[in-house]
Amino acid sequence: MPTAPTPGDRAPVLALPTLDDRTVDLAELRGRPVLVSFLRHAG
Amino acid sequence: MKVQQRWERWEAIGAAALFVVFDEPAVIRHTMLDGIDVDAMPFDVVVDRRREVYDRWGLTRARHRDIWLDPNVYKVYWRLLRAGAKLRAGGSDVLQLGGDFIVDHHGEIAYSRPQRRDDRPPTGELLRAAAGTTRRDR
Repeated sequence: MPTAPTPGDRAPVLALPTLDDRTVDLAELRGRPVLVSFLRHAG
Repeated sequence: MKVQQRWERWEAIGAAALFVVFDEPAVIRHTMLDGIDVDAMPFDVVVDRRREVYDRWGLTRARHRDIWLDPNVYKVYWRLLRAGAKLRAGGSDVLQLGGDFIVDHHGEIAYSRPQRRDDRPPTGELLRAAAGTTRRDR
């Protein structure tokens, strides 16, 4: 399994569907800082 | 504080945000997004049902003892209950850990904080990291 990226690394690919099934690609947000927050669970 | 009010601090520095979850959209809407107008949210929530992206970003699963013997978990539950929140089922895998990352204008990681247990960085720390990427580019 890969290790978590650290400062200076290229951000790994992230392209996923939204809750309403649109696809969002992190690469399309380039040009501004992006918070990528992986949540632990839904509770 | 409403989501929109919190979000204004991020908008002020021109940041975007993606929140990644792994449970089914219907579960997400009825648990963590209960009572929130999803269409009015200024950021996207994306779903990684197979957790392939969690794996690609190096996010692991905790051991049971890291979660259930962590006093901070109970402090969070206590705070939520005192605020009137309802206790809910914890989703399909309570051991899956998350993490917070700031990606800069060029697509490089500027801040990395994968979870080791049920902890998250303060919002102020994330805001400072995001604002720092803006200053670096000047």
